[in-house]
Amino acid sequence: MKNNLWNILKKELREMFNDKKSLSMMLIIPIMIPLLIIGMSALFEAQINKPLEEYNQIGFNYEMSEEEKKLAQDSGISVNYYESLEKIENAYQEGEIDLYVTKEDNLYTIHGDDNETTSYAGSLVESYFNTYKEYLQTEYLTDNNIASDDVINIINVKKDIKEADNFYASYITNYAFLFIIMAITVSATYPATDTTAGEKERGTLETLLTFPIKSKDIIIGKFLSVSLSSIITGLISFILMLISLVIVQDMFTIYEGVNLMLPSASFIFALIVIIAYSFLISGLCIAIASKCKTFKEAQSALTPLTFISFFPGMIAFMINVKSSLLLALVPFLNFTLLFTDITAGNINILEIEVMLVSTIIIIGVTLYIIIKQYKSEKVLFNE
Amino acid sequence: MLTVKNLKKKFVRYNKKKQKEEFYADNGITFQAKEGEIIGILGPNGAGKTTLLRMIAGILEPTEGEIDFDGLTYQKDEIKIKKSIAYLSGNTKIYNTFSTYQLLKMCCDIYGVDKETSEKRIKKIADTLHMNEFLYNKIEKLSTGQTQRVNIARCMVHNPKYYILDEATSGLDIISSQVILDFIKKEKKQKKTILYSTHYMEEAENICDYVIMINKGIIIQEGTPDEIKKKTKTTNLRDAFFTLIGGDQHEE
Repeated sequence: MKNNLWNILKKELREMFNDKKSLSMMLIIPIMIPLLIIGMSALFEAQINKPLEEYNQIGFNYEMSEEEKKLAQDSGISVNYYESLEKIENAYQEGEIDLYVTKEDNLYTIHGDDNETTSYAGSLVESYFNTYKEYLQTEYLTDNNIASDDVINIINVKKDIKEADNFYASYITNYAFLFIIMAITVSATYPATDTTAGEKERGTLETLLTFPIKSKDIIIGKFLSVSLSSIITGLISFILMLISLVIVQDMFTIYEGVNLMLPSASFIFALIVIIAYSFLISGLCIAIASKCKTFKEAQSALTPLTFISFFPGMIAFMINVKSSLLLALVPFLNFTLLFTDITAGNINILEIEVMLVSTIIIIGVTLYIIIKQYKSEKVLFNE
Repeated sequence: MLTVKNLKKKFVRYNKKKQKEEFYADNGITFQAKEGEIIGILGPNGAGKTTLLRMIAGILEPTEGEIDFDGLTYQKDEIKIKKSIAYLSGNTKIYNTFSTYQLLKMCCDIYGVDKETSEKRIKKIADTLHMNEFLYNKIEKLSTGQTQRVNIARCMVHNPKYYILDEATSGLDIISSQVILDFIKKEKKQKKTILYSTHYMEEAENICDYVIMINKGIIIQEGTPDEIKKKTKTTNLRDAFFTLIGGDQHEE
């Protein structure tokens, strides 16, 4: 009798592990994490290290001087001459060239459509014209006996901007965390629905409520079982994320010189964030689902929560919101901001403590409300 | 002893004009059930039997009135009362993904039956209800009759003092129904108090010591089957019931 919380937890876990859907939600979704990390890394790699020969075929409809040809070739351009506008346009349409340039007096026009290859080719051509312009300016100044260096390099600019360790590494880690958040949310949603609205719909809740068990034990037992499911998903996802980062570090050149492995302190605090989020989302899922009469109704009611769970983090990430003590209080947002900081090696213990206190308060209040409402009649008949 | 005093339950429903209106599913039910007694709660569908038994089982909260189990009330001693009762309805569902043994073991744990006693009790109940052949099979694989036997076993594991059985034979074949009726008779011999609701009047006439007839939430007659038949000058409870309601309802 004293261990009825444990009895309920055992019952919930047995039901959960006997249910293939719950198990698949718990274990299969994390498998998406390595796919996401490897896929995004491959995409970045392809964008950064696009081979020159894929975008350097440039058409010119005017005869270039030997100097112009040399400068163009030095810029990496493969020069293709076409005598008429019609021919150069046809060559572009048929994909023989990636971009083309026309000339009228001193006006050079770069032509092309709006696509990725044209964008790369455009940068190449612009770079060539800057070099050519500088060449012409130097030649003009020299002809007029003016020291070209004094004019062209009238001022000198030195770049001393501190760059992030690795933009791509932090980008991928942050997006992977958003995906972990989603995986945890989905993993909490199904068992929370099944153990509340599902149990109500199957009729077993009436049986459960005739047992000599306090509503507090029923709710906390259910909450712990759902939390365990989401923690398992979170841990698997996190471990797969770390393994994936080790793999991509060797696979892609964009991570050269960067250590993607987390230091042990970051690892531990990242785990704390994941576990705290798992508890929070489990409590909220149970609170919402226990108000619903059917499994379907609960699933519909929980759908917005799936979006709410990762949206604030995603927006914060996009507009580069920095963590603060105040934001550490804000549910959902605090997990993303703290995880970003932790994986970047900036561990702010006070902010983590504030996040934990905020999470514990929200979970406590949520469970208190559900326990108060979990009287047989209200739960069974939604009266 | 179970004492039910002036028990009322009010619900809200919508009328044709989609306006809310209140009605009493049970309106002032009073009776007593003594040790070793089988009390039949009889009435047609919608009479208020299920609501009454749900209130007694602690699933519904009465709008008014008192329920007293040997001096204990739900307001103060909900857990103690629930330890001494077993509730079974025709619609009671159990955990299908569990095996019969797992379910019975879980019930023993919940009711605080110690490990040694629970093993002995499960074995004895499995023998009594002929469940040994499917004791370790998942409940979802069992037939309706076997599932209902598991349900009875679930009610017996904690050796309750009171049984609250709401249309427990409803929808069962004749053999499965007989298993339940035999179980009720056996438990009566063990001095257990049984509240037994049914709309099968003949069934009630055979096993009940005392009968309470309910219609539209109120008691229309009560007494032993013989007393009711005598009062209504009929030869069976079915005719007695129609006599009492004026013969204008033929729904059972």
